[in-house]
Amino acid sequence: MNPKFILFFAWYYGFYVVLRGPSYLLASLSLPLTLLFMVTIFTHGTLIAFAIAGGPIAIVAANSINGAADAAFFRIQIRIQDLFVATSITSQDYMFALSLSYLVFSLPGIILYGILGSYLRVFSLNSAPWIIGVLVLLTLTISNLSFIIAGLLKHIRNVWGITAILSIIMTVLPPTFYPYSYLPNWILYVLSISPVTPAAVLLQGIVGLERIQYWMLAILFFETVVLTLLGRKFIRWRE
Amino acid sequence: MIEIQGITKRYNKHIFALKGIEASLKERVTTVIGRNGAGKTTLIRILSTQLFPSSGTALIEGFDILKETKKVRQLISSIPQEAQLIGILSPLEQMQLYLMARGFSTSQAKEESKDALDELELYDFRNAPSDTLSGGMKRKVFVAMALAAKAPVIFLDEPTTGLDPLSRIEVWSAIKRLSSKIILTTHYMEEAQELSNEVVVIDQGKIITQGTVNNLLSTFNGKMRAEKLDGEEFDIKIANVAIKYIEQDRVDEFLRKGYDIKRINLDDIFLSKGVSLES
Repeated sequence: MNPKFILFFAWYYGFYVVLRGPSYLLASLSLPLTLLFMVTIFTHGTLIAFAIAGGPIAIVAANSINGAADAAFFRIQIRIQDLFVATSITSQDYMFALSLSYLVFSLPGIILYGILGSYLRVFSLNSAPWIIGVLVLLTLTISNLSFIIAGLLKHIRNVWGITAILSIIMTVLPPTFYPYSYLPNWILYVLSISPVTPAAVLLQGIVGLERIQYWMLAILFFETVVLTLLGRKFIRWRE
Repeated sequence: MIEIQGITKRYNKHIFALKGIEASLKERVTTVIGRNGAGKTTLIRILSTQLFPSSGTALIEGFDILKETKKVRQLISSIPQEAQLIGILSPLEQMQLYLMARGFSTSQAKEESKDALDELELYDFRNAPSDTLSGGMKRKVFVAMALAAKAPVIFLDEPTTGLDPLSRIEVWSAIKRLSSKIILTTHYMEEAQELSNEVVVIDQGKIITQGTVNNLLSTFNGKMRAEKLDGEEFDIKIANVAIKYIEQDRVDEFLRKGYDIKRINLDDIFLSKGVSLES
């Protein structure tokens, strides 16, 4: 483990992208903010708390899944992955550094929703550590899914299309912006294939909007472990 | 020393990138030359632990690339042929990341990066986002990384491709000042001649000849190369260019026949071994 490299990479590639490419940040915020607006209008404000609670989940999930484009671009196109392979860092260091950079890149959005949620009394100080925990787990899980996708690609041209589709499917279909109790159980089980579902269900429970479902924590942990192991296999560190 | 022991790389049943490469690379600077697709990059990627061979192995300073990967990675610095900078980060930031990945401390990484950028006249651009640099400057940043890494063994895959003549001389000068063992690939014969103590010529996944530049050139025994478009006398014909190797005393005769007379260089090693050069 090379924590110095991981932290610097995460900071450089997370923070400087926000600083030097603010359009990326606005793009990542546009979908959750649009859905917040629509949910508020269509439900006459009754589900605004759900749309606010789901915002950080959607931001983290979308940014992490877009990481597939980065990982594929770094491996296939600009060969940065090869550059790092022949150094002392391991594939885990590299993957963890990239994952953490997506979390850093998501921070402005998380802070914005944090302020909104505090103002509307959706989030409390007590729930903050649990929310952060869920967001970190979700970042790791979805980033690893990204590494799997990136590793399976032979050409770069399809990656942006795939990540755009997955980003919509993974953030809008699961109960990110609406109560999970609206879904029949069997659909909730099916949707739990996406790590966003257990994260969203947990978050709705943590902030007290719905009953907390502890078994979803087990599912999220399970998916994190499985996808991390698969991510390590598919990253194609040494081809 | 680098000891290559029967390295083969097979992509499927019929496609071999390397066919049982055996070599001892003892000199300080070894240049691997060959056409596109000859296997140069595959060999460099295998030696620098980025790619697994299908069979065979290699020892880098006595360490096995397959069994002692961690030790090998501490010894080497490898700059891939198609590597490009992350556009949004500056050269200094990327060099620091690379050096930290190699185990440098934060302050050491910063100082070494600045020194190397200064050496390659990139210091004034150290904080500029990389996507604002010219193609040649971006390439030089990677050479600066290899310089700053101070690794005992450095692999440079086509380090000067895309550089203008002046930048190429700057890179050559930097390479010459390194005390590390260097393995580089190139298309430029004058580069191989300028930098190498030893040249390895690869064609279709095999080494077809290896030796010092002087030894390889001495096989021509002081001959000259005469070449002419659509010439009638030739030893080799490439496209419509007739090439004839002649003794010094026949130079006037071939000049009268309209041939251009050239000194023998590494191009001729290529040609005489049955490898055609790219245009």
